[in-house]
Amino acid sequence: MDMNPSDMAADTARSLYLDEKLAQVREKDFLKYRSPDLPTWCPGCGYFGIMDAFYKACRELDLAHENICAVSGIGCSGRTPVFINSYGFHTLHGRSIPVATGLKLAREDLTVFAMAGDGDALGIGGGHLPHVARKNIDITFILFDNAIYGLTKGQSSSTTPFETKTNSHPVGNPDTPLNPIRLALAYGSSFVARGYAGDPEGMKEIIKAGILHKGFSFIQILTPCVTFDKANRTWKALKENVCSLNLHLPAPDNMESAMRAAENEPYGVGIFFQDKERPSYQDILRQMQRAK
Amino acid sequence: MKTSDKDINIVIEICGSAGEGTISAGEILSRFMSAQGFEIMSFDAYPAEIRGFGKCVAHTRVSANPIYSPGKLADVLIALNDNHAISQLSALKKGGILIYDSQPPKPHEEDESVVAQADAETISYGVPLTMLAQKAAGNARGRNMVALGALTALFHLDRDAFTNSIKDRYGKKKQIVIDSNVNSFLEGFDWTKENIDKADAISFQGVTPPQTKAEQTEEKLIINGNQLVAKAALDADLKFYAGYPITPATKIMEILSKELPKHGGTLLQTEDEISAIGAVIGAGYGGIRAMTGTSGPGFALMTEFTGLSVMAEVPAVIIDSQRGGPSTGIPTKTEQSDFNAAVFGGTGDCPRVVLAPTDTTSCYDATVLALYLAEKYQTLVVILLDFFLSNSIRNIDVPQKPAPEMLNANIAPDAADLAGYQRYKITDSGISPRTIPGTPGGMFFATGLEHDAYGRPNYTDKGHLAMTAKRFRKHANVLNEAPAPVISGSQKTVDIGVISWGSSAGAAHEAVMTAAEKGISGAGFSSMMLSPFPEKQVKAFAGRCKKILIPELNYRGQFADFVTRIINRPVERLNFITGRPMASEDIVEKMKEM
Repeated sequence: MDMNPSDMAADTARSLYLDEKLAQVREKDFLKYRSPDLPTWCPGCGYFGIMDAFYKACRELDLAHENICAVSGIGCSGRTPVFINSYGFHTLHGRSIPVATGLKLAREDLTVFAMAGDGDALGIGGGHLPHVARKNIDITFILFDNAIYGLTKGQSSSTTPFETKTNSHPVGNPDTPLNPIRLALAYGSSFVARGYAGDPEGMKEIIKAGILHKGFSFIQILTPCVTFDKANRTWKALKENVCSLNLHLPAPDNMESAMRAAENEPYGVGIFFQDKERPSYQDILRQMQRAK
Repeated sequence: MKTSDKDINIVIEICGSAGEGTISAGEILSRFMSAQGFEIMSFDAYPAEIRGFGKCVAHTRVSANPIYSPGKLADVLIALNDNHAISQLSALKKGGILIYDSQPPKPHEEDESVVAQADAETISYGVPLTMLAQKAAGNARGRNMVALGALTALFHLDRDAFTNSIKDRYGKKKQIVIDSNVNSFLEGFDWTKENIDKADAISFQGVTPPQTKAEQTEEKLIINGNQLVAKAALDADLKFYAGYPITPATKIMEILSKELPKHGGTLLQTEDEISAIGAVIGAGYGGIRAMTGTSGPGFALMTEFTGLSVMAEVPAVIIDSQRGGPSTGIPTKTEQSDFNAAVFGGTGDCPRVVLAPTDTTSCYDATVLALYLAEKYQTLVVILLDFFLSNSIRNIDVPQKPAPEMLNANIAPDAADLAGYQRYKITDSGISPRTIPGTPGGMFFATGLEHDAYGRPNYTDKGHLAMTAKRFRKHANVLNEAPAPVISGSQKTVDIGVISWGSSAGAAHEAVMTAAEKGISGAGFSSMMLSPFPEKQVKAFAGRCKKILIPELNYRGQFADFVTRIINRPVERLNFITGRPMASEDIVEKMKEM
């Protein structure tokens, strides 16, 4: 049947209208991934934005609540499973990765997240990161990086910049900070990305890509600690120092260009590296058993 | 020990250097004796005084009656290497038998030969091991088989059956390997028959082992504790094992790495023991049976996670195969010094289940029980093995597979529970119905923080008290499913009660029986369940003993301290940290002194 041009235009308009309405409904709908418990974070904390991006990513992928499990360590980020309407496990300081690994190996059907802060994942739990990356365990790891120990009130962490004054280093941090993106790349992570707490849309897209990636997804989120860091990683400083990776990184499958793009400032946000071909740990095990 | 004329109860040690076939000769001897219907207990020992690198001792006890301990001293020492064997002479009984190489590869000075070092009462048989091996196979590799041939001739063992045991051992090898081993054996047998005048009394002629039933029923399993733990775990539906290499537990991981994938399970070698127990707890949270194995240093690293398992009520099983000393200690020696760490280790009020198998067979039962209890009671279960239990070999009846109810123990919530689901509901039993991820309507989050019935963080004094009491109630109820303590000896009032645990228990019960033959009235008590401990039973037992003796392999008596507090009276202690397993002979001596 032929359609006259005016009918087609009306149809398109109606469709766009419906899409828009549907999008609005979905926007609100993402809140069903939030638990009724009120977050304990300070007003102005970047974690609120991270969690909204997380809820939206879950909504857009339409994940079943009961098949999500968020595993966390200790610290301000440790509380995140409390605020997600799903299964969750608040474990030990630095140990979200081992627990998430065991859970994923036990239950491949679940979407497993590991969540950790900078002190949690790179300090006390730093020994686990190389191994989950090289094994390519199919979990999504989100690093809540505020460059400070917040829950213990403002001590230097593994990503606190050199010379920054903190409560444990009142005349300045003598340690050189780690570069989490470069570490993740060097450890052989098959997916490495960075988001920024002031960019909800960008974070959502990155978290979605991380969930869909089959293998270990490393996601660093830059976020301020509004209470214990008034000088260094503030909302203002972050905003000024963040730029899109698209300027630097046309194709995120090249380790060298990813390493270069991970130089400290300005902070590129987006996907640094992704190896879509590499099999996950469980795929490798199955391949090896079959080949035996 | 009283032995009738036709009883057999001897200890044979083969001592040599690594590469001389010491261990394989011991293995063939054990398998032959088992096939003949005897009870065996054997292990490869590494004495405290390692003089020169690579000393091996294959220790085998053979008996027509049930064996409870490995035997302290040897009746027979086969010296494949004089230098090493000299340091083993101290473990040979007075008047024991020495079989040595009368024409060793390198002629040695008189005082360096083992026969010159042996005391005057030793009955020594010189056999030209090297020469006969050369004659049989063109090289000296078969010296160990020549020695076994000599042993067979001396003790009137069944030559043809022994030949078959050798063929079985090398069955998968090339024909030339089988032939040269068999020929060496026969060469040793024939030479000994012709040239040696027997001066000892050991003879298997006319001995009918009581266990010829082994032929009627199923074949016996010749197995060590580590192998049996792995077998039990597979039979008990283990689906996940995470581990980090550490002596003496590594073998469990190696066996399961082969077997678990065949059973639909996963093995994970982790970067450290923290990660291993973390992954086990993750898998346990996911609803499958998971376990890790380690030794002292690794168990120390796992301590923080043990608290999480108890607090978040997530099943986890840890095997701690104890070795000597704190820190890295003595990795290849046996000790029972992790009692306190297993029962009390860690922070906070943290009730956990601790099981200690008392012999090889009970390694199977303990593993099946541990996986069941961890799942049903949603808690940590520690299995305390030790180097000796892990590595000593027994011939045992094939264990009965676990009953179906042992394999599916999780108490899941029903529809009523799921309405307003309280994951940590306060119950009389202390057990709260548990959902596993993927269950709609059963979502919760687990935490190491103190929490309310829903799992939400809660630090109130009432809340903490209620939850702590619930966890302890649950722990106490485990006792209802504990195997009954083993009680040996007299059922009446006795002079000495011997209370023991773990791998020392066999020696303790054996000592009670031996002491009774010497006119000492005694009784024995041991419990596989250490935490919760059968306090009522041990009090009742102690109540009919004038004196209490607690033998164990640690310096001051960790278990003795524990029992003293329960029975509220002083006890006699017998402690060794020699790295050797407990010997019933030493316990009997102590009982005589008491």
